[in-house]
Amino acid sequence: MNNILDTFMNIEVFAFIGLLIWLYFKPINPDDSD
Amino acid sequence: MFKNPLLIIALAITGVVALWGIIDTQGLAAFAARLVGIQFTSRAWFIMLTVSFLLIVSIWLALSPYGAIKLGKDDDEPEFSTLSWIAMLFSAGMGVGLLYWGTAEPLTHYLLAKEYEGARGAASTALFITNFHWGLHAWAIYALTGLVIAYFSFRLGCPSLVSSPILRVFGSNKITRSVGWFSDLMAIVAIAIGLGGSVAMGVFQVKEGVDALFGLQDTGMGLTMGIFIVLCLSFILPLTVDLSKGMALLSNTAMIVAGSLVLYLLLVGPTYYLMGGIVQGFGEYLGSVLVHGFRTYTFMDDRVNSWFQSWTLTYMVWWLAWAPFVGVFIARISKGRTIREFLGGVILIPTAFSIIWFGVFGGIGFFDILKIDSPILEVVQNNLSGVTFYVLKQFPLSFLTIAATVFAAFLFLVTSVVSAAFVLGMFSTGGDLNPSTRVKLSWGLVLGALGLVMILSGSIDAIKSIIALGALPFVFIVLLLVVCLLKALKLEKASVHE
Repeated sequence: MNNILDTFMNIEVFAFIGLLIWLYFKPINPDDSD
Repeated sequence: MFKNPLLIIALAITGVVALWGIIDTQGLAAFAARLVGIQFTSRAWFIMLTVSFLLIVSIWLALSPYGAIKLGKDDDEPEFSTLSWIAMLFSAGMGVGLLYWGTAEPLTHYLLAKEYEGARGAASTALFITNFHWGLHAWAIYALTGLVIAYFSFRLGCPSLVSSPILRVFGSNKITRSVGWFSDLMAIVAIAIGLGGSVAMGVFQVKEGVDALFGLQDTGMGLTMGIFIVLCLSFILPLTVDLSKGMALLSNTAMIVAGSLVLYLLLVGPTYYLMGGIVQGFGEYLGSVLVHGFRTYTFMDDRVNSWFQSWTLTYMVWWLAWAPFVGVFIARISKGRTIREFLGGVILIPTAFSIIWFGVFGGIGFFDILKIDSPILEVVQNNLSGVTFYVLKQFPLSFLTIAATVFAAFLFLVTSVVSAAFVLGMFSTGGDLNPSTRVKLSWGLVLGALGLVMILSGSIDAIKSIIALGALPFVFIVLLLVVCLLKALKLEKASVHE
């Protein structure tokens, strides 16, 4: 498989895992709602 | 119904897939295989890590103080007796798959494994791999998805939708609403495509059963289409009336038939050999299951890698495809149970049953190969859908057991399609617990059309790729839902302590 595609697809996964960890620890803020 | 954009877009996406498949079946199959191949090569580690993570989180939740939290208000009692709850769990998650793969799957793995490990080692490896595919990891995916839906619906009073936990935990704003909307859409697409594949496999199996019952040969597509039409006619009536009790009766009947079948084979077959296989299977499974969940076969050759993609990875995303559907169903029947009871019941009992099932059906297959040198492997290579019936034919009263299998397969199919049409109707109308007949029939039609596409593709491999393609986005969504659950539980605990 194309190495650039592989890198790109895995960067997406790393970013997603990072997002999950951030969301888990982020305090719940009632101001987040509209 | 036409004022609901989610419903229209979901119907349009699945409709386009169905239409594409009818016009150019091979084109769709090749496209799905290519896309899934890229994902599976690049993200195999992530899929295995995700399913192992889900199992570990389930075990941790069950053992932690959170396990005592009720799925419902504190004074809610379980709606169903534990026995009928367990029977319904089986019928939801087991479906037609076990009837189809009982002997066929362990023997397919055996064919590859014996080239690496020799015949006898290969038999236990093949049984272990099959148990792994149908065991704790699969049920942990269902259980956690179901737990998220049950907790947010019954404990916190949100609508039974995939998007509810996201909106509840992170607040309702532009971003969360878009993510929630997309999650609902992907859940619908994954369920519809997954069910279509199941319909096709079920129809193939019923057709083989009818062939075996009446000694027919080379009936080709004519009989397959005939069975498909009878199936479609059978689910129209239950879709137009409210038959929730009737549906439970149908799935329980199918379960009793399947349970009696496995018990009968255990007793009339080589019982000592099958029991030996079951006990060994249990032990090997318990000993290595957690480690195996992290296994990616990275250092193996291309043949093993491609086997890993088309079996283990495909199964794992397959369970993910079914998770929103089975999750909603098991959530609905589990109101009033504690998290610990829920996770224990949903994960442990069906896994134990699967190990017994494959121990019996797979054990008979291995007995045929290793003890009496029967040509069963040729059947596996040439006619996968016929393997179960080949096994049944070896024993007395085969006409009866084959008829029972065909009957159970047909019942599983009808109940799956009807309950999936119900869940899809619910999801696509904002969580309406009684979606209109028109919405349910539209979904019945789409499920039928997707089933037809997969039947026309004529190949189990093509079906597997198409299902995997529909399910892949759900890997991300399930993880997001689990984060929502963990945050909400943490919040509940904090508010109790305040």
